[in-house]
Amino acid sequence: MADDLFLDSQPLPQVLTATRLKQSAAAVPGSMTVIDSELIKASGARDISELLRLVPGMMVGYTSGNQAAVNYHGTSASDARRMQVLIDGRSVYRAGLATVDWSDIPVAMEDIERIEVFRGPNTVSYGANALMAVVNILTRSPANSHGTRVKVVRGERGINDFYASQGAGWETGDLRLSLSGQQDDGFDSDASGADRRDSRRLSRFSLAISQTLNTQQSIDLQLDAKEGTNQRPYTYSPVFAGITEGGNNSDVTAKDYAGSLRWNFDFNPDHSLYIQGSAQQWDRQQIWKACDAKVSFSPELTQLWQMNPNYAELLARHMDTYSQGSAPPGSAAEQALANQVLQQWRDGASQSVCGDIDQSTRESRYDLEIQDTLSLSDSLRLVSGMNYRYDRADSDTYFNGTLDDTTWRLFGQLEWRASEHWLLQGGAMYEDTHLSGNSLTPRVAVNYLINPRHGLRAVYSEAIRSPDMFENNVNWSYRVTNLSSPAYGQTTGQYFVKTRGPGNLDKEMMKSRELGYNGFFADIGLNMDVKLFYDEITDMISSPLRNNQYIASNANSARFTGAESQFDWRVSNADRLRLTYAYVDASTSNPLDKAQTARNSGSAGWLREWGQGWSSALFYYGDDALNQYRFERVDLRVAKRIALGKANVELAGMLQERLDNQPTTWADNNYDHRHVLYFSAELEF
Amino acid sequence: MGDSSRMTGVLITRLWRRAVLLACLLLAAPAWSADILLTAAEDGAGVQAFAQALAQQRPEDRVTFTALKDLPAPGRLPATTRLILLDLPGLDWRLQEPQGPPTLVLRISRLQAHQRLGSMPHPRISLLWSDPPLDRQLRLIAGILPQARRIGVLYGADSEFLLPELKQHSTSLGLEIVPQLWDNINDSRPLQILFRNSDVLLGLDDPQLYNPKTAKNLLLSSYAQQLPLIGPNAGFVRAGSLASTYSDQADWLAVLDRLLDHSPANWPRSLYPDRFKVVGNPQVARSLGIEQVDEASVATRLAEGEKRP
Repeated sequence: MADDLFLDSQPLPQVLTATRLKQSAAAVPGSMTVIDSELIKASGARDISELLRLVPGMMVGYTSGNQAAVNYHGTSASDARRMQVLIDGRSVYRAGLATVDWSDIPVAMEDIERIEVFRGPNTVSYGANALMAVVNILTRSPANSHGTRVKVVRGERGINDFYASQGAGWETGDLRLSLSGQQDDGFDSDASGADRRDSRRLSRFSLAISQTLNTQQSIDLQLDAKEGTNQRPYTYSPVFAGITEGGNNSDVTAKDYAGSLRWNFDFNPDHSLYIQGSAQQWDRQQIWKACDAKVSFSPELTQLWQMNPNYAELLARHMDTYSQGSAPPGSAAEQALANQVLQQWRDGASQSVCGDIDQSTRESRYDLEIQDTLSLSDSLRLVSGMNYRYDRADSDTYFNGTLDDTTWRLFGQLEWRASEHWLLQGGAMYEDTHLSGNSLTPRVAVNYLINPRHGLRAVYSEAIRSPDMFENNVNWSYRVTNLSSPAYGQTTGQYFVKTRGPGNLDKEMMKSRELGYNGFFADIGLNMDVKLFYDEITDMISSPLRNNQYIASNANSARFTGAESQFDWRVSNADRLRLTYAYVDASTSNPLDKAQTARNSGSAGWLREWGQGWSSALFYYGDDALNQYRFERVDLRVAKRIALGKANVELAGMLQERLDNQPTTWADNNYDHRHVLYFSAELEF
Repeated sequence: MGDSSRMTGVLITRLWRRAVLLACLLLAAPAWSADILLTAAEDGAGVQAFAQALAQQRPEDRVTFTALKDLPAPGRLPATTRLILLDLPGLDWRLQEPQGPPTLVLRISRLQAHQRLGSMPHPRISLLWSDPPLDRQLRLIAGILPQARRIGVLYGADSEFLLPELKQHSTSLGLEIVPQLWDNINDSRPLQILFRNSDVLLGLDDPQLYNPKTAKNLLLSSYAQQLPLIGPNAGFVRAGSLASTYSDQADWLAVLDRLLDHSPANWPRSLYPDRFKVVGNPQVARSLGIEQVDEASVATRLAEGEKRP
């Protein structure tokens, strides 16, 4: 062959190598939902969280208009504590406060190529926190982002977004620079009918560069920044009676920065390696005014709280009553302190005082990962690597200063194609965290391929979630500054309520069993996936993150069983139908953990190209009760593409119509009208 | 004795006739054994190996290789020589003069010929195409990806002339060609547009579009869309395209062998080899959820299809 005059002697690189090729859909060791760019566009969604409605079993709710709460199957109400969220391999899960700020993720929808959702635990491939699911957001490669794009969106509910990007290529590399902004009013009214304070305004900057160094090496660089304001309603209610003053908001200024550099090295077609280093910062500035009685800063009351929070709270809530007589019954020490506090109350500590509370946080993360892919033979592939992570959280309110943590991980996964039909994939991850010790989690999957397009799978996996800094190590107290009049001789004071994390929390443990089928009926263009699951979480930390009496423990457990299915049918070149449905049965020791589980949920979509540049997309989303509120919505997007020479313009109108009359997730999340209309215009050249 | 002398006379006559016949046979030998002259500007191991293989294939012919720089002008070569050109400089040299020996040109693609000769056939030159025939590649697609209907085809200024022919072949197979001009390989937008509207890509053997520089982005971005690429040649299959038809040295030797048996007057002006193979990339097929390409049986099926009128 080598000397054959007639075979192309052009020295072509081997591009789609054993290390670059992925498993076919039927051979994936688990359940995967891919939201491709066509769906992203057709959905008309302005937020990543909205796109996740297309994923079976994903519970999408809202704490407020600018705080999406997305969970797979269920558990914690407000935070995606058990889901890993990655952007191009970089975790955006905030280590300090155990949450994902969906609205603050520094990525514009227009820069997303696709979203791959791995439905099920996979700590072996994605690290801890990949407990219930992994959302992997993949941005468009700079090489596929050439040219100029400008887009504006305007509509009801204060919707006002823009996006602009410029991509360029040169001999050995490509870059994309994009700027974007987003603005809306959030929900219209709270449970009492008053204006809901939850609008947002943000702007983003993103730069992605890829550069080929030589035939074996390349680097990818990404820089992202985001700044914006998220309105938060004022929620502080004075502990002590008779206080009427107060602030009017606790808005947050959110700044996110991220940078990552990845060096890819292809030793040969059967062996490749990458090293990725990233740095991120989540900066949340939140300073708000609070007013309460001066006794809030009483050293004795603080002491009493530390001795017995229930006793202290009882006293504090009924100061007027007890100050007429004597301290409530309790131990001698408690009563002695209580009487001192009551005396202070009588001596003027009942006066109102206002000051500033700085609830700001700054979290940083540095992450270094090496991953090696080695194709040992045509049927055996080994992916292994190690990861080092340093997390730091800075917050006077939550951590009384700074807290940091380091994590080491080692992971390996072996894929063995035993025969044309049988595929065995297994691996393990070892993790050692400075604050919460070490763990080893295994994962095994067997796929039986009936043929290359149809596969059955059985998966067993264990996963762990380390308690995050907040759950385990919170040291929560409010320092109030700029007091309007001195309290206890000071112009600053430490609020008497203090909450400490237990410090000795253990890891949560998830055991997941799954049976699934994935098939592609090529002759009719139908892709389908069905899965049955039985997931158990033990040693579960499910206490809500609140500062009055936060007692975290590993005492809870949860079990999720059910079935999920997704159908994606390209009926013709012009029509695409997509259906998802999930039935989830949740049984949890803490009732709050199943409030966010809809027993029945799903989506249906119909995308059509009508010709002459016209296209439409009709989607239905529904869940039968998220936090007891039903959600049903129909979205219609109609778009017209117009070619202007080499440029393209797309004009689109988007109508969302709620079919139910319920609040969204919480009673405070209401819209005045069931529909919203917005328009977009996009120019590409 | 008279009888015997008559007998002798008959014998002599017979012998004479036989001798004349033998002489005729000997004189006529050039009609069977020929001077085959191979030439190329570059003389590498591959060229030498091919010249040797051809010599073995045709022991009765005189097969020689002479480097292009050592040859006189084509018109000064004996008209009885059969000239085989192995590269493009050889063709340029041959085109200097309309006169000269009958010539077979190997290792020339449709696109290269179009650039050099336009569409005018040259009376003494037969072009033996190196690029896989379009209808064969289309039937390969129909064979291994029976569901594919929309065949995405990137073309450039040099390869645009192939489109009408491609469309004609696709119509008879019930396929739709989705052509997309790619005039600047540093701009990837045409690829994205094409990928959105295709079920499979067919690579035209146009080195402006398919070369070591573009291979990475072409293959990675089409793979990201789960879109298989067919062609443009065997080399690309190793790089990551799903499959292609091709003809190797053994195929060409067989084709040449048959051509050289015929009088040059009967040589066609151009020819696609009817001997060919199929190559597939099993790892790419597996990853795309496509059955492995059974190279031998697909090639046999395609060849059978070509025999029918």
